[in-house]
Amino acid sequence: MDSILFMILRRLRRPLILIIASFAIATIGLTLVPGVDDHGQTWYMSIFEAFYVISYTATTIGFGEVPYPYSQAQRLWMTFSIYFTVIPWFYAVGKIITLLQDATLRHAIAAERFARKVGSLQEPFFILCSYGQSANLLAHTLDEKNMRVVVIERDQERLNDLELADTNNAILSLCADAQIPENLIRAGIYNPHCSGLVTLTDDDDVNLAIAVSVKLMKPNLRVLARAERKDIAANMASFGTDHIINPYTLFGDQLAMRVHALGTYILHQWLTGAPGETLPPPKNPPRGNWLVCGYGRFGKSVIENLEREHLTTTIIEAMPDLTECSKCVVGSGTEAGTLIEAGVKDACGIVAGTDNDINNLSIVMTAKELNPNLFLIVRKNKRNNGALFRKFGADITMQPTDIIAHECLAYMLTPLLAEFLTLARDQDNQWANSLISKLVNVVGEIVPETFAVTINAKNAPAVNEYIQSGMLVNLGNLVQDPFNRERDLKLVPLLLMRDEVSFLVPDKETVIIEGDRILFCGTYNAKAALPASINNNKTFNYIMSGKEAPDSIVWRWIKRATS
Amino acid sequence: MNMEKVVFGFFIVLAMTLNFGFFLGDIGNASHHHVYELYAAIIVSLIATVLKFGDRTQVGAILLSTSLAADLQLITAAILWAALQGSMETSHLTVYIVSLSGGALMANFISVVLLISETISQRR
Repeated sequence: MDSILFMILRRLRRPLILIIASFAIATIGLTLVPGVDDHGQTWYMSIFEAFYVISYTATTIGFGEVPYPYSQAQRLWMTFSIYFTVIPWFYAVGKIITLLQDATLRHAIAAERFARKVGSLQEPFFILCSYGQSANLLAHTLDEKNMRVVVIERDQERLNDLELADTNNAILSLCADAQIPENLIRAGIYNPHCSGLVTLTDDDDVNLAIAVSVKLMKPNLRVLARAERKDIAANMASFGTDHIINPYTLFGDQLAMRVHALGTYILHQWLTGAPGETLPPPKNPPRGNWLVCGYGRFGKSVIENLEREHLTTTIIEAMPDLTECSKCVVGSGTEAGTLIEAGVKDACGIVAGTDNDINNLSIVMTAKELNPNLFLIVRKNKRNNGALFRKFGADITMQPTDIIAHECLAYMLTPLLAEFLTLARDQDNQWANSLISKLVNVVGEIVPETFAVTINAKNAPAVNEYIQSGMLVNLGNLVQDPFNRERDLKLVPLLLMRDEVSFLVPDKETVIIEGDRILFCGTYNAKAALPASINNNKTFNYIMSGKEAPDSIVWRWIKRATS
Repeated sequence: MNMEKVVFGFFIVLAMTLNFGFFLGDIGNASHHHVYELYAAIIVSLIATVLKFGDRTQVGAILLSTSLAADLQLITAAILWAALQGSMETSHLTVYIVSLSGGALMANFISVVLLISETISQRR
């Protein structure tokens, strides 16, 4: 704030000096000019009276001639003074107003205010270094989960959307370039409550610059970055970027997951969704020959993953030379001829994966007319085309921005969740389906809360004390309802990490020890009730023994006396 | 030679000399202290203050604060003069005003010392 004050003062130097000089001359002149008082005597104004008269004249208030009507000489000087002082006065006022509207100054004030607000945040928050489609979705989901978000975005128009948006907590935002380290500091990377930074701009170089500068300034801050090019991703990794997101590979992976293990896919979507959301039952893509329209980065990833699942593919590409496509049907896919040539009648599914939404819709509509049994996968590029895609109702609508947001969430909510999802991918479909039915039994069909608990003196003092005193605590004890130990909270332990060893979906008989990290999934109420038992010795004692320990000295004494 | 430096030095030194001129004389004798000299000292001191705005160096900051101290005392003296004239004995009032301007003189003196020491330390 200091620098702004001095910036204002420096710019106002000239008008201020002009005002001082003109007032000084006008005042001194007025004291030197003789006047006539009510007795006809000659009198001179004192400096104070003259300053008073000039002050109200220069500011155009004009009280008139006080204390006596002026002499001709005084009126002559006053006439001169009016023009001499009013002009500098207006000049100064104009200058101040211009200064207040000055873009640089306003930006400086906004930046200072933003930095102050971020500095006063007292709860964990994430920094988003852009506010595009995926960041937008991410910000709102985090907000739904009651986490604070700070946004830096270069485009003021996108921030205007943010200001109008309806959120639980105020999302702090600054219109600035996140590549400048000073702005990252303003956004709070040095704030002890900052839990991570996400950079999802569509420019790889920008993401790289941000990831590298954050890793240099604060190496232990978690950084998630988007990178489409391999060399950039490798560069990011060499600087220790915690997670690198490539939307195209991600989509391919997810498609493969859907073909290969639908259950795992549902689990993935479910655990990373916004709480309260319900997911439509997904469809299982058929096996057979697939048509893939568009052999860009997206199409390549799709084909790579489909072929890994031993599915045959036929490529339709409008510009085979540009995309290094050796064996393909040439055409855009929007016209029936190309599709028939590619064998649409015998195919089992089609992927419309060009970067143009209207073309994609046109491809699947034409294909559906030719072969109504086709399984339709369509790529949606722009979020605001949502209405069109809903109306059409393809079997799978894949949207890169959604995929990125879900992926980021998994890493941001808790690192354990990311760990769990990686492990879950290696399990078979049967396993995933049984876990899903278990989860649905306990928490219902809406998206549950996912959170981690660490067993130590700081995070679970009651449990830790119990373990330290040499008694055994089961995982099942943690899940017991602190208000009625006969019942269980609506919680499912998903993962237990002991040092570097992980136990996937541990059962309730597992004995826990100090330092265990446990990932739970459950309802909002269960999440809120858990701290009551793990933090409070009395409650935890009740859970373990079924006895209510007396609180006060008197009751303890009576109890001891009676027993 | 730089015109800006000349003007800057001129106003700072003039603020001190005018202040000194007003301060000089018997502290209780109103005829030794002319009101126009106080007026001029205030105006020049104000201009010197504005000239010091916006210098971010350490010396610049101290220069500005000495000026602000001088302004505060001189303006207080002027307000006393305007407000109490006629309502109390002239010799008493003069003592108040002149002692205040003596305080301002110290601040202006420090300002000039700083200016000179900074000039000397520049080896060019």
